[in-house]
Amino acid sequence: MTSEGHILIVDDDAEIRRLAGRFLRENGHRVTPARDAREMWEALEAGPVDLVILDVMLPGASGLDLCREIRRTSHVPIIMLTARDSEVDRIVGLEIGADDYLVKPFSPRELLARIHAVLRRMRMAGGTPRAAGHLLRFSGWTLDTRRRELTNPEGAVVDLSTGEYDLLLTFLENPQKVLSRDHLMDAAKNRTPTGFDRAIDIQVSRLRRKIERREDPEMVKTVRGTGYFFAPEVERA
Amino acid sequence: MIRVLDSLAARTAVVAVLGIVVVHLASLWTYEHAIESERHAVHATRLADQLVVMKRTLALVPPAEREGVAHDLSGGALDAHWSREQITARGPGAPAASEAGRAADAPPPQAPATNALAAELRTLAPELGASDVVVGAGADPHLAVVGLRLPDGSWLNVRLFATAPPPAGGHGSVLSTSLMAAGVLLLSLAISVWLTRPLRAMAKRVAGTAPDAPLAPLPETGPREVRELAHAFNGMQARIADLIARRTRALAAVSHDLRTPMTRLRFRLEEIPEPDLRAAMAADIGEMEQMVEATLSYLRGDAEAEPVRALDLVPLLTTLVDDARDRGLSATLEAPATLVVPGRLVALKRAISNLLDNALAYGGAARLSLSEADGWAVLTVADDGPGIPEEQLAAVLEPFVRLEASRSRATGGVGLGLTIADAAIRAHGGTLSLANRPQGGLTVTVRLPRTR
Repeated sequence: MTSEGHILIVDDDAEIRRLAGRFLRENGHRVTPARDAREMWEALEAGPVDLVILDVMLPGASGLDLCREIRRTSHVPIIMLTARDSEVDRIVGLEIGADDYLVKPFSPRELLARIHAVLRRMRMAGGTPRAAGHLLRFSGWTLDTRRRELTNPEGAVVDLSTGEYDLLLTFLENPQKVLSRDHLMDAAKNRTPTGFDRAIDIQVSRLRRKIERREDPEMVKTVRGTGYFFAPEVERA
Repeated sequence: MIRVLDSLAARTAVVAVLGIVVVHLASLWTYEHAIESERHAVHATRLADQLVVMKRTLALVPPAEREGVAHDLSGGALDAHWSREQITARGPGAPAASEAGRAADAPPPQAPATNALAAELRTLAPELGASDVVVGAGADPHLAVVGLRLPDGSWLNVRLFATAPPPAGGHGSVLSTSLMAAGVLLLSLAISVWLTRPLRAMAKRVAGTAPDAPLAPLPETGPREVRELAHAFNGMQARIADLIARRTRALAAVSHDLRTPMTRLRFRLEEIPEPDLRAAMAADIGEMEQMVEATLSYLRGDAEAEPVRALDLVPLLTTLVDDARDRGLSATLEAPATLVVPGRLVALKRAISNLLDNALAYGGAARLSLSEADGWAVLTVADDGPGIPEEQLAAVLEPFVRLEASRSRATGGVGLGLTIADAAIRAHGGTLSLANRPQGGLTVTVRLPRTR
């Protein structure tokens, strides 16, 4: 189920372009590198691009502005890269239209996981993932996909590990459907140290411990021999 | 004495009182001196007039009646007698009283003082010729004998009692001086207390600010000197803040710039075929990343603009403990179902993660326990390690302090873990304390307020 696609890497660091390009190609993606805004626009005009990886610090133009400009004409998913924590708030807080972000230094596997997650969501939503909004609500809980933050019905922030977040996001994107362990594994790919089914079961039980309470004792139901089923209704806002 | 005069107000009062008293005494002395010489002049003129009148009168009456008339004219400071001979110079035999006799015994009559009296008399009464006046001084300093030659050659001898004019209110000037001194003291104390009030306010304000809190500029009000001081102080404060900001920016820039090469290293790592080498290098890079993150986190400090939100501590602790277990480490958590505090997720997570990592690194195992007590969330992180020597318990909260030997070799890091944790907890209005347990091992206790 690996999502292969055409990825445009926009970064002024030649080594990052080369290394990330090689790594993504090895993982089945087609990669076009771009050094600056001009090369980025040329590549976008040259052919269909499935995803843009955009560095915030570019010579001559701010990645934030470029992201906004792309969004004016296209729904292409965008992952922002930044080396400054202070820029995270602007990526998240401003309506610049980025789908996800990564703070340097990130591991190649982290990048791959984010790319897969964004591409998968994009495909599930039929090409316009952003139109649906970034808040997912269920049983009084809210998951803010832009801030990667879960709040409980009383409004308190509930911390999730990266694996738990990905798992919950997969459930919320496929509510009231039976999801196989394979499907869930793919969603959490490259996240867990081991790739066995057992790892998914552990993740599910950890997630349950954080979201299931006396009022909602069984949000995630186990489907014997198959996988899991997320019971509550999910609403996007 | 130095301590008593320590305050500016006291010194001002002392200076004012001393100054006023000196000026007052000097002017008092000058004034009395002037009054004195004026009175002396008046006195002398009157004497001279009286002497002249006596002389004229005696010259008009027959010699037989002269002694009687002279006696009649005597009075006050003057005692006049008539004689054929000049007795001041001659001495005994004069019809004068015993004092006159003693006066006659006096050493040479032309003493400077008597000379001066003679000269003065001649000046005041020009009709007394130079040879007509003889002044003799007695042993008694209050007595002078003046001899005036009448036209017929007989002498009018007048004894002058030097009646010193009564001193002009000696007690009065002491009283007025003390009263004035007291008044000046009170007034100058009041004035200087008022004058130094802005200074005291300034000191209080500077001292009252927490050492690491940004100091608001001092208001530049009050008298000019205080305004200048406040201005200079604000300038210095701005320069210090600017210096720190520039250093912080430089250090932050280096730390930020390290992130790009570290990202490259992460990618290069993927190309290393030998799993052992790759794992070892991954661990090295991970350690470097941790140091950079710790340094950046320390430098950011309160500048971190993360908003305070209602935050459930239990899932946060669960995430950290699960993560430690995934890494094959021994960590346990004892906590209620939920415990919400107002907090910053990233900052608190980093703080508690540092405490947990310390416990795991030095103690091998960590036991976390969360409870609620009197409106506080109390978290303890206990390990079974060697603890920290009592005398170093406070020092380990300082930045870049690492303990010697066994405790520091176990982990990487730059000695910022506890510093960052302490700063984050304090920024939440909480406290962090370290204690060695009697049975061994270290317990870190974090208290966070449940309401803001």
